[in-house]
Amino acid sequence: MARYTDEELKEKVHNGFIVEYPDEMTEGYRNALIVQLLVQADTELISAPAYFGAAKDAPSTNTMVSATAIIQDELAHANIAYRLLEDLGMDKEQLVYGRQAHEFKHPYGFDHPLENWAELVVANGLYDRAGITLLGDVFKNTSYGPLKRALVKVDQEETFHLRHGEMWMKRLSAAGGEAKESIQRAVDWMFPMAVEWFGLPDDMKRHSGQLDYKLKGMTNDELRQTWMQSTVPLCESIGIEVPAHWDEGRERFVLDYAFPCEYDEDEKRWLMDEGEISWSQVFERWKGRGPANKRFVESIQEGRAFRGMLEAA
Amino acid sequence: MKEPVYEVFARKAREEPLRHIGFINATDDDLARVYAWKTYDEQNWAEMCVIPRSAIIPVDPGESQFVTANAPATEDSIVHARATGAYGGSDVAIKGDA
Repeated sequence: MARYTDEELKEKVHNGFIVEYPDEMTEGYRNALIVQLLVQADTELISAPAYFGAAKDAPSTNTMVSATAIIQDELAHANIAYRLLEDLGMDKEQLVYGRQAHEFKHPYGFDHPLENWAELVVANGLYDRAGITLLGDVFKNTSYGPLKRALVKVDQEETFHLRHGEMWMKRLSAAGGEAKESIQRAVDWMFPMAVEWFGLPDDMKRHSGQLDYKLKGMTNDELRQTWMQSTVPLCESIGIEVPAHWDEGRERFVLDYAFPCEYDEDEKRWLMDEGEISWSQVFERWKGRGPANKRFVESIQEGRAFRGMLEAA
Repeated sequence: MKEPVYEVFARKAREEPLRHIGFINATDDDLARVYAWKTYDEQNWAEMCVIPRSAIIPVDPGESQFVTANAPATEDSIVHARATGAYGGSDVAIKGDA
C-alpha cells in the first residue's frame, strides 16, 4: 500500500518532494487530486460549447478561425485532464458521457450562455485570465509531476486566449458607441461572476486539502487579488468601469459592492442593491446550476449516438 | 469503447533529443498520429512520434511514469459529489466527507 502516512506525505511535498507514482499517494492525496483534476477538466470541457455559441458571431472569417482555435484548445485541455484522471483509476468515457449535467464540476459562471462577440472576448479576457491565475498557481506549486508537465502546453495556449480577449476588448472599446457599450454590459455581469468563482474568502474557508497536499500554492483570496491586479487596470485603461478599486491604505483591491450578492439569471444582472447574502445561499445557487447547464452538457454528449453504432459494429 | 494510451514525443530541432510532451487516447496507430498532431500543436515541432504505452518496457517497473495505475475506481463517491466547485478551488465535497 502507500509508502507514506498522510502526515509524512504532507511534510515531504512541502519540502519539495514531487509525487510521480500511485503508490506514493495516500487516499487523501488521491481524492484531493481527483477533485482538482475533475474541476479543471470539466471547466475546460464546458467552456467549449459556451464559447461556440458566441463564436458564430465572429465579425470576420479570420476572427472565426481564432475563436474556433480557442475552442479546439479547450477541448484538448479537457482531454488531457481526463487522461490524467484515467491514470488515477477513473473512466474517461464515463466521466464525459455518463454523467448528468448537474454532476459536472465547472464553475456556475460557465452555466450561462455567451450571446454575442463582446461576451466571448470578455470571457477570454476575464474567465481565461481566471483560468491562468488558477492553473498558473497549480503549475508553479503542484506536487504532482504528471500534472505539472501537462500544464506547460495548457498555460502556453491559455495565454493566447487571454491575449485574444484583451486585444478585442481594447478594439471594441476604442470603437466607442454601441461596441464599447456591449463590452461594458458584458463586464457588468461577468466581472462579479469571476470574482465569485474564486470561492469562499479565507476567513471562512473550510480546511483545504489542496493546500495541505501542495496541489496549489495560493489561497482563494490571494488568487482573487492576483486576478484583480491585472483585470482592474486593464478595464480602467480602456474606459470600462468595474466595481472594484485599489485601496492605498489596505494595499489591496477592494470590491465596491456587497459580496457575495444575488444574481438574476434572466436579466443577467447582479442584484447589488439588495445587499449581501450568505455563502450558503451562494452554494445553493451554484448547486442549482445555471440556465445553460443542461444544454451545454447535452451538446457535448450528443456524440453518444454514433459511439453506440461503433460499439455495436 | 476503451481507447489505449499513446505517449507523445517530439523535438523542436534536429539537434535536440526527443522529449516526452504528452499523451492521447486512440483506438489505433493511425488515429494516434492524427490526434497527437492536432492536440500538441502549440509548437512547430521538427519531429513527433507516438508510442503505445503498452510497448514501453520500464527497466524498473516501480519507477516508471508510463505504468498505468490500476487503482480501484472511486468514481461513485467523487462523481456524485455535490456540484459546488470553483475552478481549481477545493470547495467540492466528496460524498461522505461532509
